[in-house]
Amino acid sequence: MENGAANPIIVCENVKKWFGDFQALRGVTTSVEEGEVVVVIGPSGSGKSTFIRCINRLEQHQEGRIVVAGIELTSDVRNIERIRSEVGMVFQQFNLFPHLTVMQNITLAQVWVRKRSRSDAEQRAMALLERVGIPEQAAKYPGQLSGGQQQRVAIARSLAMDPKIMLFDEPTSALDPEMIKEVLEVMQELAGTGMTIVAVTHEMGFAREVANRIVLFDEGQIVEEGPPSEFFANPRHPRTKMFLSQILSH
Amino acid sequence: MSAESFDLPLPPEPPPKVSRIGWLDWVRKNLFNSVFNGTLTAVLTAGLLLLILAVLRFVFSPDRRWEVMPPNAANYVVEAYPREDLFNMWLSLWIVAALAGFSTASWGMRGQVSVIKVVAAVRAIGATALVVGVLSLWSPAGSATQTVLVFGGVALFGVGVGAMRLVREEREVSVARVLAIVGALLVGLVWYMPLESGTTWPLTITALVVAAFHWVGKLVGQWLSDRLMKRVVTILWVLSFPVIYLHIQRNPSLVWEEVTSWLPWAGLLIAAGPAVIWIVSRAGREQAAGVNFLLGAVAIYSWVIQWPMAIRVLFLLLTLFSLATPTFAASPRARRAFYWTWLAGGVCTLYLFLAGIGSTDLATRGHFLGGINLTILLAVGGTALSFPLGVMLALGRTSSMPIFRILSIVYIEVVRGVPLITVLFFGDKVIPRFLPPGLDFAGEAKALLAITAFSAAYLAENVRGGLQAVSKGQTEASRALGMTTAQMTMLITLPQALRVVIPALVGQAIALFKDTSLVAIIGLADFLRVARDIVPNQPDSLGSILENLLLAALVYWIFAFSFSRASLRLEKRLGVGTR
Amino acid sequence: MANRPSLASPTRPPLWRNATFLKWAAQIGVLFGVLALGSVLVGEAMANMRAQGLSLDWDLLTDPPGIQLGEGIFIKPSTGMEAFYTGAVNMLRVALSGIVAATVVGAMVGIARLSSNWLASRLATVFVETLRNIPVLVQVVFWFFLASTLFPVLEEDSSGPIPGVLLVSRKGVSFAWPFPQETFWQWGAFLVVGLLTARWAYRTRMRRAEELGEDTRPLTWALLVFLAWAVVGWFAHPLAGAIGWLFMLLGASVGAIPVVVYQVLLALVSLYLGWRWIHRFLESRRSPAGLAKLTDDDYFRMILAGALGAGGAAVLMLLPAATEVGTNVVQYLLEFCDQKFEFLRSGAPLAIGTPSVDVPGRFPQIASTGLTMTPSFFGIWMGVTLYTASFIAEIVRGGILSVPKGQSEAGYALGLRRGQLLRMVILPQAFRVILPPLGNQYLNLSKNTSLGIAVAFPEMVQVGQTMFNQTGDTIQVILIWMAFYLSISLLISVLINYYNRRTQLVER
Ligand SMILES: Nc1ncnc2c1ncn2[C@@H]1O[C@H](COP(=O)(O)OP(=O)(O)O)[C@@H](O)[C@H]1O
Ligand SMILES: [Mg+2]
Repeated sequence: MENGAANPIIVCENVKKWFGDFQALRGVTTSVEEGEVVVVIGPSGSGKSTFIRCINRLEQHQEGRIVVAGIELTSDVRNIERIRSEVGMVFQQFNLFPHLTVMQNITLAQVWVRKRSRSDAEQRAMALLERVGIPEQAAKYPGQLSGGQQQRVAIARSLAMDPKIMLFDEPTSALDPEMIKEVLEVMQELAGTGMTIVAVTHEMGFAREVANRIVLFDEGQIVEEGPPSEFFANPRHPRTKMFLSQILSH
Repeated sequence: MSAESFDLPLPPEPPPKVSRIGWLDWVRKNLFNSVFNGTLTAVLTAGLLLLILAVLRFVFSPDRRWEVMPPNAANYVVEAYPREDLFNMWLSLWIVAALAGFSTASWGMRGQVSVIKVVAAVRAIGATALVVGVLSLWSPAGSATQTVLVFGGVALFGVGVGAMRLVREEREVSVARVLAIVGALLVGLVWYMPLESGTTWPLTITALVVAAFHWVGKLVGQWLSDRLMKRVVTILWVLSFPVIYLHIQRNPSLVWEEVTSWLPWAGLLIAAGPAVIWIVSRAGREQAAGVNFLLGAVAIYSWVIQWPMAIRVLFLLLTLFSLATPTFAASPRARRAFYWTWLAGGVCTLYLFLAGIGSTDLATRGHFLGGINLTILLAVGGTALSFPLGVMLALGRTSSMPIFRILSIVYIEVVRGVPLITVLFFGDKVIPRFLPPGLDFAGEAKALLAITAFSAAYLAENVRGGLQAVSKGQTEASRALGMTTAQMTMLITLPQALRVVIPALVGQAIALFKDTSLVAIIGLADFLRVARDIVPNQPDSLGSILENLLLAALVYWIFAFSFSRASLRLEKRLGVGTR
Repeated sequence: MANRPSLASPTRPPLWRNATFLKWAAQIGVLFGVLALGSVLVGEAMANMRAQGLSLDWDLLTDPPGIQLGEGIFIKPSTGMEAFYTGAVNMLRVALSGIVAATVVGAMVGIARLSSNWLASRLATVFVETLRNIPVLVQVVFWFFLASTLFPVLEEDSSGPIPGVLLVSRKGVSFAWPFPQETFWQWGAFLVVGLLTARWAYRTRMRRAEELGEDTRPLTWALLVFLAWAVVGWFAHPLAGAIGWLFMLLGASVGAIPVVVYQVLLALVSLYLGWRWIHRFLESRRSPAGLAKLTDDDYFRMILAGALGAGGAAVLMLLPAATEVGTNVVQYLLEFCDQKFEFLRSGAPLAIGTPSVDVPGRFPQIASTGLTMTPSFFGIWMGVTLYTASFIAEIVRGGILSVPKGQSEAGYALGLRRGQLLRMVILPQAFRVILPPLGNQYLNLSKNTSLGIAVAFPEMVQVGQTMFNQTGDTIQVILIWMAFYLSISLLISVLINYYNRRTQLVER
């Protein structure tokens, strides 16, 4: 949409990352505007997860630079925690804390990291649970919820920290088809509120409708990026054509 | 599947009646179902009969002196504790009894047991007594015991068989009631048995205390929330231990002259604590780190220069509190909890020092802990103290920081590679070498230290298993939420890890309980040493060593067996509760 | 389309906010603290000992200890070394025989617990639940006092329950046993060769079986080959005495080289290890596009590795004593082996001794002609064996239960009988599960032999305690204990790991 506007909230410059002698990122350069919704696609093992995990420093890049919300990701202790409370993340496997109730899952980090009082935190949690549509599950344990409900709790847990950016790493891949919809609806609603979103997902419907930009990864690099209309209608790179034919065929 | 039902021609039938299996069938099926099994049964039966006869001949031999046990009851339990101060021991027992009553009230004894099972148990006890009594007629024996065995056995067996006729249908009674009846019977037994004089009333009081506090607990439970009640009971249990062993049993005299030099400073330090916590929680990250660094430096330096021990320890404690403040006490509520914890902890530490410095007022100086009392002190104290150390070692061993990992591995593997007795000798003989000449800890304290150091290494390995069972996703989620490593460990990883390893930890506590018997070798008067050396060498009970060893074996067995059964039940319940 | 923002020049955080630096500073700080605490304590201990007229030297190994041991090779050791040697051998006697016995008993009880025979499974359960819930020390002491108070008194004409084979008395239990003679080692050389060739025969027969598809009886062949070597060796062993010359030569050459050479060699090895670690580390970071950028963390690791290597080398060069002790031990071992072989020395390698009674003075003794368990040995041996057996039984039971039920169903469907099923299907699979905890039990048994001190059995700990009661050298004795038990633990865990890996390799 507002491409070229000079307000990037994530800037990556020639980011490289190795696991042992395997290079997972081979120089990724891109930036994300405030309020933009970016969908990352690409074959398995192409480095999508590694890339978005570098953005909140769950992985450390070895070369190049990443600046998030004006803070450069270095080994500065002060920056790391600041970054993590600006960036929320939702995982494929939900990663809810099984020993805590849904309510405790959402209030824990608010109290200990955001230093809110418990009652404030609980109010915020309740509001978010209503927003994701499951206020009645607050007292249950994660193990008692369905996959879709768990993932919505995970989203609420991230949102409770008031992040500026939300990262999603294949949030619907571990879900049964009927649950995928309820999670995508929450994500769509979130995008509507102007949240900056970087999502790895293969839900092409979501990508087409919600995304401002699609980024295709392969072998640790960005092969092609562009707005969905252009990206799906006339892809330029042959790799993109092949990938699209593979995932759209079934 | 369709929800509607059709009228199909075949209605369900009850299962075919199984004809009751006769005992002959049972024997054929379970003992003689093949040539090999038949032979095995014959051989085992013959061996078993020989063994039983040998045991009976041993037990009822005129050389056996079982009668020395009741008069030595106090020796087994408390050994050399001055008899005129025995009230202290009773008081300790009553405190434990009161807490036990309280716990049964707050945790509830909702278990049910079928009446048939209870009656069957009575019948089995009766039958066993009867068989033993009758068999003993063939051995040279004291007649009184045999009479009791035979007639008691007949009575119990008769009651059991009769009751079995009466209660045919499935009925259940609460475990609490059964326990109450057993308790009442035990009290009756106490009045009948020739115990050491002066024990009947206190033992009766113990039973009454349990019952009374059970009711008190129920009453209190009506206007206290369940959670608060459990928390209070837990804190009381934790506090009871130092109170019993450091105050009640030791009966220290507080010598104020020795402490006047440092007491004001200690008071000042305790009072200054909240201020430090307030400053650190308010300051920015770097300033807080600066304050902590300063405190840590002074705390370490205080061990180099000659400061009073209490001040050193208090300073170290304050440093730890201050270190934990930025992560755990930033919100106002948590900060208030921190103030109170600090004040309570500081006052407790101070009191322990006062009590520790003061010499005991007991008639005997030096060793006053012994018998089962000492065994329990070592087992419970060792478990409790080794827990934090073991958790720290486990965290070190799973840490991403190589030097911490190497240090933990070296400690754990070295300690696990050597026998406990060498660690006990290390504590007994080498610790004094590190202290200024003439100064030495009590043998009990050194043994407790050694047992703690030993047990921590094994505990660490158990906890490590639990830590490794926590999935990587959990740590990633906590990191993504911005938690620090300390918060992640205390709030996410450890709670999950410890839950997984509870059965292993109980198993280790049992092993530790058995291992405390090794302190007999370095000369402490624990239960085994009382049974092996002290009682059999007294003029009245000279040479009764095998009898005493069997008693020791029985007592250790009852403790260890019942704990391992309880742990099995716990394991089952946890297995059901968690996903 | 892609944004190419240009960034301001990169910023490096100050050192006190650098996570990597802080991490390593904390670690090195703690390491330093531990070392400092250690050295302060050791310093204090040294000062205290000097004040008491003691010192941290190793004279106790060479001085006459003036102690007497209950049983073993040197009953009146003339040096501390001999005393500890006696203790170590006694400990190994209990541990090895205990491990064998506990394994046999434990396996039998464990299988019996799963037996369809009601009596057998009940008795096995009682065995396990009784023995594992009573402290092993109580059991050891009980067996000791049982043997020394309830067994028959030894008379001049005692001949035991089985005359000539077994003699039971309060002075000990003695039974007939083949004892190795002076020429045993020469025969042993033949046995070793026999084992190796038997293994070779087994493998070739196995290969043939696979090629021809018929039963070539490899085990019988291997046994026959071994027996043949044993029989031939029995008569031909004087020839094997020639091996002694080899040991003599080796011993002489080890002694001829000055210690400095070994020192330098070991120091070089230490340096090489440090260098190799760094080298491998760099190799692992090398990518097709050249060397990956190293993080601060990587630099710290490499510096640490280098420092450790160099430090090890420095210690080796500055402390010749450590190397000297090592070469002395090697030399001693070679000399020892040399004495056991002598060209053309003849005589039967084994001779059977039978239990008998000896009356040297007023009191009858068990003559040292049969293999004798003193009451002390009996107590510690019975105690640790039965206690460990109860745990092994549970491990065996668990291992068998861990084999999926489908396996036995498949076995029955093939028409195997219960015994066959157990031997050919269940046990081989259960073995893989059983092995690691079994190794742990062997370790526990070995460590529990230290309870011999409670029944005056002269194993390592009892010998050590007797020694430091004489000399006051507690620290040295405890160091010797640690070295001894840690080597045993290490040895057992290395063996277990080796077998573990082998059984797992078979699986793939
Ligand atoms: N922790 C790790 N250690 C080693 N290799 C890894 C690690 N994480 C990811 N990889 C490798 O990096 C590559 C990219 O992984 P990832 O980013 O997870 O791919 P995807 O696009 O499927 O999310 C894969 O080949 C994967 O095997
Ligand atoms: Mg992925």
